[in-house]
Amino acid sequence: MLQFSASFGRLLLELKKLPGVGEKTALRLAFHLLKSPGNIEALANSLISVAKNVHLCSVCFGITEDDPCVICSGGRDDSVICVVEESQDMLAIERSHAFRGKYHVLQGALSPLSGITPSQLRIAELLERLRHSQTREVILATNFSVEGEATALYLAKILKDLGLKVTRLAHGIPLGSDIEYVDAATVQRAVEGRSEF
Amino acid sequence: MILSRLSVQSFRNLAATTVEFGTGFNIFCGDNAQGKTNILESIYLLGTLKSFRMAKNPELIGWEKQFSLIKGLISDDGLNREVDLLLDQAGKKVRVDQKTVVRVADFFGILTVVLFSPEELTMVRGAPESRRRYLDRAIFAGDVIYLTRHHEYMRILKQRNALLRSGDTSSLEPWNEQLAVAGAQLVTSRVGYIGNIDKLLKETFREITDTNDEVAISYHSGSLAYSEDLNDNIDRLAAALNKRREPELLQRTTLTGPHRDDIVFTINGKPLRHSSSQGQQRCFVLALKMAEIELLRRCRSVSPVLLLDDMTSELDSRRIANLLKFLTDRRMQVFVTTTGTNDFELFEDNNLRLFHVEQGTVRPANKA
Ligand SMILES: [Zn+2]
Repeated sequence: MLQFSASFGRLLLELKKLPGVGEKTALRLAFHLLKSPGNIEALANSLISVAKNVHLCSVCFGITEDDPCVICSGGRDDSVICVVEESQDMLAIERSHAFRGKYHVLQGALSPLSGITPSQLRIAELLERLRHSQTREVILATNFSVEGEATALYLAKILKDLGLKVTRLAHGIPLGSDIEYVDAATVQRAVEGRSEF
Repeated sequence: MILSRLSVQSFRNLAATTVEFGTGFNIFCGDNAQGKTNILESIYLLGTLKSFRMAKNPELIGWEKQFSLIKGLISDDGLNREVDLLLDQAGKKVRVDQKTVVRVADFFGILTVVLFSPEELTMVRGAPESRRRYLDRAIFAGDVIYLTRHHEYMRILKQRNALLRSGDTSSLEPWNEQLAVAGAQLVTSRVGYIGNIDKLLKETFREITDTNDEVAISYHSGSLAYSEDLNDNIDRLAAALNKRREPELLQRTTLTGPHRDDIVFTINGKPLRHSSSQGQQRCFVLALKMAEIELLRRCRSVSPVLLLDDMTSELDSRRIANLLKFLTDRRMQVFVTTTGTNDFELFEDNNLRLFHVEQGTVRPANKA
């Protein structure tokens, strides 16, 4: 394929870097795009715009175009902060409309196997944030993987020492599964049924 | 449950075939290395997704083939289920009643198998790992959650060992806490299982051997004495982890937990591995398997199918007769491999189907 067109070959290579995309899918996507030049331009523009405009909120570290993000700057309940691993976890909880407080995105979870220690997560920023806010309760909504659980246990100890109420999502989430894959209704039940750590 | 039909395609040396089984004894006879055990292995895979010979997919897939396919029709209490297992270079795929299965719990329990093979004698003499593996598989056959817990424990253990290796143990505490909880969950299941199986083992050993030898199985964890109470075990394991912190930091690995525990078999109060003949050890393991079947029947209301590989070697005819009576009484479906042709007189029961296995071809035969 590369000998026919260098740019087509480059597109294939870029597509294959995406998660879940192999040789076959890359080819299918590339040929599909070729058939509709209008779509290619729209896609290219949105990619460039994402790269230029989307970044992490300097307060909660969720993805945003404005800084601070709409959730941090809006009239949300300041007394509760929900701590999640990734921006997509925040999105899943937002979709459930069950939570009216603010968020903090850790940008990962503790994992010695991948060399991720507390200092690589946005934990120091969370503690700094709590020092200057009216927050009384922190909901630990990290994943129910062993890594998410370790992160929650680690944070729970520190936060309780600061005199905060610490809760963990508890209900309706199957053992070992990621919160990202749980449908909105289940997350809603989980937020309502949180229990004190 | 009954495996009423089995189809294999490109599996080991077996020729593509579909075989209809009887509800009682199904006997595969033929010379060595003709493929008898491969049939049992395919049935075992259909129930557990694992090979009892620890084989990986490339060994299981037939010579110069891309994939193998094993299909089974299983009926249980009037309910028919079809299980398809595809093995290719990338892994295993399962379909149940034509639908792809993603979750473990949707597959396990459809076909429960119990295996007795000569290799399992290594369980008596071999390393603790072989006994732990046996115990874990036996528990899992009746308790799907146990597998998830086991995976979880192993994941925590790997993470904790990585942290110990890194030398920076400032965030060790959450891993200790998780290891203690997940470890205690495994230990509590194991201790409970051993307690139940020990009682049944005493019965089945007597039934098979007609002797008054006192047999026992118990769970050992160094100086740790576990109970049947989960919270109690969490405390004990957590305390043991704290106590061994220094040596763990030195050796940079987790020294306490179910991954280090062992199971001890005794006969008349003495360890089985030292104080008995090969024949006695074989009877012990066989009785243990029968106890496993009894436990599944009584506690889980599951009637498993039994795979007996090379049944008659090293068992005398009286014990074989006792074993056959045990199985007939319970109306078990049994799959047996044997090289001998004289053994069939022992099967008085007419619920018997005989198959000849020659160079990978399975043919139904009339009773010899
Ligand atoms: Zn924000």
